[in-house]
Amino acid sequence: MRKSIFGLSLLALALIAAACGGGSLEGEEVLVFGAPATDGPDGKAIQEVFDDFTEETGIIATYVGSENFESEVQVQLESGDVPDIIYWPQPGGVVDAAERGLLTPLTDLGIDLDEYEARYSPYLVSLGTVDGVAYGGANAVNLKSIVWYQPAEFEKRGYEIPETWDEMIALADQIVAEGMNPFCFGMYSNGATGWLATDWMEDVMLRTGGGTTTYDQWVNHEIPFNDPAVKLAAEYLSQIMHTPDYVVGGVDAIVSTAFGSAQDPMFEKDANGNPGCFMHRQASFIVGYWPEAAQPGAGTETTVFPFPVIDPSLPKAALGGGDMFAATNDREATAALFQYLLLDDEAWTPVATNRNGHGSTRITANVNFDTSLYELEITRVLGATINAALSENAFRFDASDLMPVEVGQGTFWSEMTELATNGPGYIDTALSNIENSWP
Amino acid sequence: MNKLINFAPERYHEGLYGAMFVGPAIFLLGLFLLYPAIRTIYLSFFDKRGNNFIGLENYVWSFSDRLMLITIRNQIIWLVGVVTLVILFGLVVGYISDRLKRGEAFFKSVIFMPMAISAVGSSAIFKFIYEYRPPPLTQIGLINGIRVGIGNDVNGNECGNNVILNDGSKLDYVNDGCLRPIGWIQQRDLTNLPSFENISSGDFFLNLFVNFPINTVLLMLVMVWMFTGFAMVVFSAAIKAIPTEITEAGQIDGASEGKIFMSIVIPYLKTTILVVATYMTVSVLKAFDIIYVTTRGDFETNLLAVKMLDEFAKFLNQGRSAAVAVIIFISVIPIIILNLIRNRSEAKS
Repeated sequence: MRKSIFGLSLLALALIAAACGGGSLEGEEVLVFGAPATDGPDGKAIQEVFDDFTEETGIIATYVGSENFESEVQVQLESGDVPDIIYWPQPGGVVDAAERGLLTPLTDLGIDLDEYEARYSPYLVSLGTVDGVAYGGANAVNLKSIVWYQPAEFEKRGYEIPETWDEMIALADQIVAEGMNPFCFGMYSNGATGWLATDWMEDVMLRTGGGTTTYDQWVNHEIPFNDPAVKLAAEYLSQIMHTPDYVVGGVDAIVSTAFGSAQDPMFEKDANGNPGCFMHRQASFIVGYWPEAAQPGAGTETTVFPFPVIDPSLPKAALGGGDMFAATNDREATAALFQYLLLDDEAWTPVATNRNGHGSTRITANVNFDTSLYELEITRVLGATINAALSENAFRFDASDLMPVEVGQGTFWSEMTELATNGPGYIDTALSNIENSWP
Repeated sequence: MNKLINFAPERYHEGLYGAMFVGPAIFLLGLFLLYPAIRTIYLSFFDKRGNNFIGLENYVWSFSDRLMLITIRNQIIWLVGVVTLVILFGLVVGYISDRLKRGEAFFKSVIFMPMAISAVGSSAIFKFIYEYRPPPLTQIGLINGIRVGIGNDVNGNECGNNVILNDGSKLDYVNDGCLRPIGWIQQRDLTNLPSFENISSGDFFLNLFVNFPINTVLLMLVMVWMFTGFAMVVFSAAIKAIPTEITEAGQIDGASEGKIFMSIVIPYLKTTILVVATYMTVSVLKAFDIIYVTTRGDFETNLLAVKMLDEFAKFLNQGRSAAVAVIIFISVIPIIILNLIRNRSEAKS
């Protein structure tokens, strides 16, 4: 299917080249390959963006997605029969392909790097940069630094949304004093138990010490894992996990509860109408794990506030992830599409406004995009939080994904599980164990 | 081929015909069994990408890394536990069902049924039995569902698994006095179980007892449950082959049931027991699905086969993965030798 489109595009290209003899790009074709399925909500939304581009320029851009993206793209790169633009689900793919010399630098595509940086923050640009040459274009991002809560329950009891850590702790103490549990926390995940605690640690790291500076040093192992800054973050996390009655079900529940059912107590009311918990820190994908009855209320009955600020002198940081795209040639049509996707501040409009109802909730990393255009209230909140962080260059990717696998998917996870079970006295041991396992 | 061989001198014909038949099999065995085995041993002396020779470092890691040592400990618990329990239950059930006057076929097919369920299916069943939900929620796991419904709370109200009564009131288990649910496959020791809660420090044996890895044993039981039927069928066939004259003679001489079982049945089944033990040992060393489906190796429940995959696919370390594979391979060797000795002594007698 993809082959035939590609072949067709080559044929069309040849015909057009012969007919027009250069000049106009009208009718040229650009093939884009990515992970979101062609027929899925995200794939259709990407195609909507391309359709706008086609209307403006006459260049025909086609999106093709595959569930087996990772393996198929490897085959394409090996064989040299590549699409014009590739959307990788994470920056690692761009770096890998660039190191193998298979990608076109952004400057060859006519991209002004200063303009790119101004829109997407130097951090995102750096993620797609190899040996000082930028290859990757930032695209959609997601946000992990959010806490789910139910506005109605907060209003009924006169609780305010906590903006700082101290306010959150004060609110938690008040909830405990009223005989309830403030937090939902479950970190059991087959083969990956502990990642939720690492996310908490990362969020705290971004908001304490030197903020993003310390965070980057931590990720790159420029400070040891048992550095006082990391220890402080572990202590903040331990405060949530180990203060009696903070987490519904106690320490046993933290370790034994599957992350997917962790928030369920929030939807379970007791005899007095009190929910099992009031706050749950988890990325937006958790909605898919909620009880079916609760899912339609996402964004209204159950919605989010940004992870509280700890050190107010630091910029408002955000933790998340995102995809990245790169070009394999410097054809004029490819460059035109690349520039449109990266630098046109209105390119994201069809995705945000959910044109034709494809149902994609992707959020752009372009800070110039008007976040009030997002169709759903919750996406607007997420988009605004991401924008605020990006404009201060304080958006960071998940540290455990960036660390070596032995740590990021090994000891960091397992020692956080140990920490949850063994209590605050174990912090030093946990951090030294992780430090010793760094390759 | 025939024509080709006919070109060769007459005296080579027989050998060439033999080679023609055996050759392809030997070639395929070499390609798919011998070569990978040798290659794995070779790779186990190299680093994570297989580029640099690092000697025995991967084996040093295998016997010094904390999680790897726990994996080896679990493998030993499984080996001893599964083999013993499967043989024990298989023998008892096989012997008793043989004594039944009616319903033997029905009884045996019920016990055998788990054998017909795939390991993944069985693991999923047991995952539901051990399932845990955080407290205010209705417990969907069998054990926790029963557990939280027992007894009364401090106010004298009945505990219940969020049962809605006819008058619309709900019996829950959140108040003090009701039993709390336990995440069974997450418990690495006994400290969360009733009557062990307050034991934290004591003498060496008490500590050893409290640190008993309950989750590993609970997961091991899945395999016991699956293979008891297999052992029972094999044993009951062997029991039926025992000549009735001998047992009758024993009865006439006044031997008790227990005496007959220990002195007649067991000696007769010695070979069968060894066969079942061999089969079970190899199965346990290969055991993978149960851990993969239930905990995926978390909470110190890992087994060598899953560890081998993790090192390869998750930590991208070919060398360590190969070393684990070699350890599994070496553990099978004593059993093969034991079987060879037995075969030889049987051939002699």
